[in-house]
Amino acid sequence: MEPRPKLLSLLTALSLFLFLAALTVIFVYAPLEARMNYVQKVFYIHISTAWVGMLGFLAAAAAGIAFLVTKNLQWDIVELAAVEISLVFFLVAIITGSIWAKPSWGTWWTWDARLTTAAILELIYLAYLLLRQGIEDPERRARFGAVYTLVGGLSVPVTFLSIRLWQTIHPAIIGTASAQAQGGFAMAPAMLHTMFFALGTFSVIFITLLWHRIRLGRLAHHLEQRRLQDAE
Amino acid sequence: MTPARKPPTDRRSPGSSRPGFGRAILAVLWKDLAAEMRSRELLSAMLVFALLVILIFNFAIELAPFLRLTVTPGVLWVTLTFAGTLGLNRSMAVEKDRGCLDGLLLAPVDRAAIFFGKMLANLVFMLLVAVILLPFYSLLYNLNLFNPGLLLVILLGSLGYVAVGTLLASMAVQARTRDMLLPILLFPVIVPVLLAAVRASGGFLQTAPFEQIRPWLNLLIGYDAIFLAVAYMLFDAIVEE
Amino acid sequence: MIPFEISIKYLIAGYAAAFLILGLYVASLLIRWHSLKRDLETLEKLQSK
Repeated sequence: MEPRPKLLSLLTALSLFLFLAALTVIFVYAPLEARMNYVQKVFYIHISTAWVGMLGFLAAAAAGIAFLVTKNLQWDIVELAAVEISLVFFLVAIITGSIWAKPSWGTWWTWDARLTTAAILELIYLAYLLLRQGIEDPERRARFGAVYTLVGGLSVPVTFLSIRLWQTIHPAIIGTASAQAQGGFAMAPAMLHTMFFALGTFSVIFITLLWHRIRLGRLAHHLEQRRLQDAE
Repeated sequence: MTPARKPPTDRRSPGSSRPGFGRAILAVLWKDLAAEMRSRELLSAMLVFALLVILIFNFAIELAPFLRLTVTPGVLWVTLTFAGTLGLNRSMAVEKDRGCLDGLLLAPVDRAAIFFGKMLANLVFMLLVAVILLPFYSLLYNLNLFNPGLLLVILLGSLGYVAVGTLLASMAVQARTRDMLLPILLFPVIVPVLLAAVRASGGFLQTAPFEQIRPWLNLLIGYDAIFLAVAYMLFDAIVEE
Repeated sequence: MIPFEISIKYLIAGYAAAFLILGLYVASLLIRWHSLKRDLETLEKLQSK
């Protein structure tokens, strides 16, 4: 297993630095929001982690297609890494979103399109992991994983649009909390700067974590190959 | 493992450049239907299960007369969803256990034809269950479910369900956790179908203006078109060896 | 404006949840890495015999 590349070590250090810098910017530079006071600062983490979740989602779909086209198992490793990271970050996004929503809108959860779709996506990811767990042949596992990534991935935007459609046709059904929940808050320029800084930071964190997770995947792959060779 | 290479086909118009395609689909379909007509295991299991689910709903949800119309579409579609899973699982498991799938794959037919044949068989089974379920439900709850709009929704919804379901079932059946895996894989992906089917069914039953129902029908048609195409393209990757 | 005491509680809860989950994930990556490394060494030792 190759030693950790210097670039990765640099990225890791950069990620840590940016993370601390972002926290400083959030708590020192960004102004307090008029209505929500301190709890609004959770929003920066909520959006940033949702953003990373999205990046992971897209990376997984791209890796799935790449695998089906090239049949190279390295893409399968990328796909699994991307799914795992997306799963974790969307989880954080959902939870921080919920914690932010409670004091702002008075409810932990609304069945609005974004939140519901995020929850369904988490279930798809878990299903993906269960599918992989049930298949022992690495090549078949990779193929099936890629197929489900594509089917699941394609269904997500369709699901999102369906729920949106439902909301526009029956706005009252989802509950008054959701109706209020459509309103956000106006972002002062300083808040926007903070938001972009946070997004940039987390993008770097995404790449770093993805790279680390891919290395982990390759180690696991290497181990599995050795074990299979042994068994022959 | 070298994947079997099949000759390039014109994917845009199956049946026109390969005259065997349509016939292959019908052959696979007929094989499944004939097998089922002889044993009737699958249908009876799905049917009994569906009736039991309706029974359970009677105790679980307040189906008082004035609530029935609003709750019926949901109850119907949950029932169909679960019964459909049974059918999909069995239909695929039979292939695998009897080794029929390998035999089919050795035959000189386009893989996609196998997929469509299987899918159509699953669709027929699901529609049969629905067709028998509706009069029962109508009788038990004193509702008239013989609504052409409702039947259309059942057709469109079942089509989408079965397209994705057949694809996913062909994967699930090869995993260790076979029976439990299919619903886990299928349900999150089928949400748009469920949502649109329940809304459209409700709309037709409550004789809502067509303008309100149309977006849901469009969604169903769109989903069916997209996922039929996707399933057609991806089935190859599943049976590749 | 939301009162300070309430707002700060949710703020802490939010950041705590985020750091906890992310921290656990990074920790799991490290643990899995070391465990795989160990397994690989054991396997190599066995195979060289």
